Amino acid sequence: MNPNLVNIHLVNSNSTHHKEDLPGDFAIWIFIFAEMLAFGVLFVAYAFTRANNVELFNASQLTLSRTSGAINTLVLITSSYFVVQGVAAIKRGLNKQCAHWLTGAFLLGGVFVGIKIVEFHAKFAADITMSTNNFYMFYLSLTFFHFMHVLMGMIILACIIVKARRSAYSAQDYVGVETGASFWHMVDFLWIILFPLVYIIR
Amino acid sequence: MSNDRAQSKLFPTTIWLVLVALTIATFSLGEAGLSGKGVMLTLLAITMIKSQLVANYFMALRKTKFLWRAIMFGYFIIVGGLIAMAYLMGLK
Amino acid sequence: MKYKSQAVAKLYFIAAIGLFLGQILFGLIMGLQYVVGDFLFPAIPFNVARMVHTNLLIVWLLFGFMGASYYLIPEESETELFSPKLAIITFWVFLAAGAITVLGYLLVPYASLAKWTGNDLLNTMGREFLEQPLPTKVGIVLVALSWLFNIVMTVLKGRKTAISLVLSLGMLGLAVFFLFSFYNPVNLVKDKFYWWWVVHLWVEGVWELILGAMLAFVLIKVTGVDREVVEKWLYVIITMTLVTGIIGTGHHYFWIGAPAYWQWWGSVFSALEPIPFLMMTIFAFNMVNKRRREHPNKAAVLWALGTSVMAFLGAGLWGFLHTLAPINYYTHGTQLTAAHGHLAFFGAYALVVLTMISYAMPVLRGRAANPERAQIMEMWSFWLMTISMFFIALFLTGAGVVQVWLQRLSPTPMSFMAVQDQISIFYWAREAAGVVFLIGLLLYIGSFFVKGDSHAFE
Repeated sequence: MNPNLVNIHLVNSNSTHHKEDLPGDFAIWIFIFAEMLAFGVLFVAYAFTRANNVELFNASQLTLSRTSGAINTLVLITSSYFVVQGVAAIKRGLNKQCAHWLTGAFLLGGVFVGIKIVEFHAKFAADITMSTNNFYMFYLSLTFFHFMHVLMGMIILACIIVKARRSAYSAQDYVGVETGASFWHMVDFLWIILFPLVYIIR
Repeated sequence: MSNDRAQSKLFPTTIWLVLVALTIATFSLGEAGLSGKGVMLTLLAITMIKSQLVANYFMALRKTKFLWRAIMFGYFIIVGGLIAMAYLMGLK
Repeated sequence: MKYKSQAVAKLYFIAAIGLFLGQILFGLIMGLQYVVGDFLFPAIPFNVARMVHTNLLIVWLLFGFMGASYYLIPEESETELFSPKLAIITFWVFLAAGAITVLGYLLVPYASLAKWTGNDLLNTMGREFLEQPLPTKVGIVLVALSWLFNIVMTVLKGRKTAISLVLSLGMLGLAVFFLFSFYNPVNLVKDKFYWWWVVHLWVEGVWELILGAMLAFVLIKVTGVDREVVEKWLYVIITMTLVTGIIGTGHHYFWIGAPAYWQWWGSVFSALEPIPFLMMTIFAFNMVNKRRREHPNKAAVLWALGTSVMAFLGAGLWGFLHTLAPINYYTHGTQLTAAHGHLAFFGAYALVVLTMISYAMPVLRGRAANPERAQIMEMWSFWLMTISMFFIALFLTGAGVVQVWLQRLSPTPMSFMAVQDQISIFYWAREAAGVVFLIGLLLYIGSFFVKGDSHAFE
């Protein structure tokens, strides 16, 4: 499928330099930008709500496990790196290698989910809910919303892995891999902002 | 083009290592329990570098039209800027 | 007409237009009652006029959706309808049930109607938009299931396309979510939840799938653009619609006793609801600009583009206007809601049904497009109805803003009825715009009877 088919002509494409199109199907970028917008609004809302309750936010923030947050950051960054390698492999037509790299990324996604579940469990066991206070409302909303995106990203990766195992891609046709890769990088991109904002900055 | 290919082997790995280092830096600042304007701006600067590294090199936007990189950068400037502003308001 | 069984759509379309006329007449009656309180009292009290106005709206749109799907599914599936006979039986059952219900509203006091129709058995009546007596509600479910069954069976035996998949999904959702109307808990907070799960999840959820599928179908037909392109757009749009629409239900939970975090979830996600509508506008114009053929039915193209623009304005922009919790705190339940309701229902749903009728009716009558003169008349009716509805929304917005100020923001707030007196000028203006709308509608109906040289099929 040609990604240009759905391209909205936002910019004049007559530039003299040859620039590549956005990696993957253009449709996924509509989602990526929309998701970033939603998270952006929530990030800013968190910051301004915090400005009015600094002490409450600082005190509640201390109850979070910074270690699991940091490990999860490393996990996502590494899985993104694996995805980059997977895309590089498929550009050389290596379906099998691509599948290996993406499987690595998928497993790391699983590690992220596991750590996150432990974190959520600890909070629920302490009777903390979205109604406890504004900090926990944002913490649970933001991380849960992001969590759902990790799961979504893993489903997408799984579909690509299955196709790559069947050698469905080639050095000429790898839009599908790039589409999933772009989504996965977005999940990473958002966590990179979420982690310092919610866990560290005080 | 051949130049690109030669660097593409090691280049993502370098980016990845930088991201790991910056994450550890963020974590250490948190563990040290530091707070205040300077620390906040440092953390935001680190986050900006990390997010743009992911956008430009992992998402491979560096090779695309300027507009797309501008969106990702502008996004961080707006979101990060508002976060900084809110933080400073909280200092009173 | 490619398939004989598509002809059943004609019945549905005619009924839809007839009920549409009824809806507008009752709209005008109650519009006048806003300023002349005892107009037609006691024959048709305000609450009855309102009930008939809103219920007719829903029923004629359902007739439109059904007609549209009986027309487009055989063509999409490349096979005759599973059972045209069932479609015709369903039509008469639905029409009869609708007529009897409306007569019941008009002739019998609501309380007696409730008593006679077994509301004691299962208490479902008395809630806005869901006023229908129990037998009517059961009838709606049966009609919806028969419709769904007929369509799904047709899809299963023929070609499966994205459009028929999305349409079937929308219909399934329509049938399933209506089931919440059968549960009416005593607890008012719970009651509101179930009520919104019908009302919100219909118009800001599954109906949008039906809308998207119908619009995509007409655009493929009139522009000749590749199906592949249209389908991708359709998938992107409906995914965005479902994500924002379902979580966006939270914008109804602000002040009904639900937990406070809904003010955040509801605000953020419902604020994103205009995005799929904006995409629909871009999509429609993009397709028409890239058209590969000049379809002789110019009127249908106009209706289709009009749908995409007015849906964005009415559902998207006018919804966004008062969806954020801090704003909604002051605006909920004012004339701003009425402004949004009018423009959204007209822009998204009334227009898409009219688009479909405009495209399909000439074909059902054995020609590719209506004679030039009929089309010109139809386009006039489009502009008259669209512009007058836009003005209705503007006047109600004005009324709403003044109402919010006088009743809720002002340091010396006035009572509800005192404020109604203050904003009567807006109501008069709205009524005038409503008359123009009626003229537009009559012109529309008239356009079906214009004779002339019609366009034959290529």
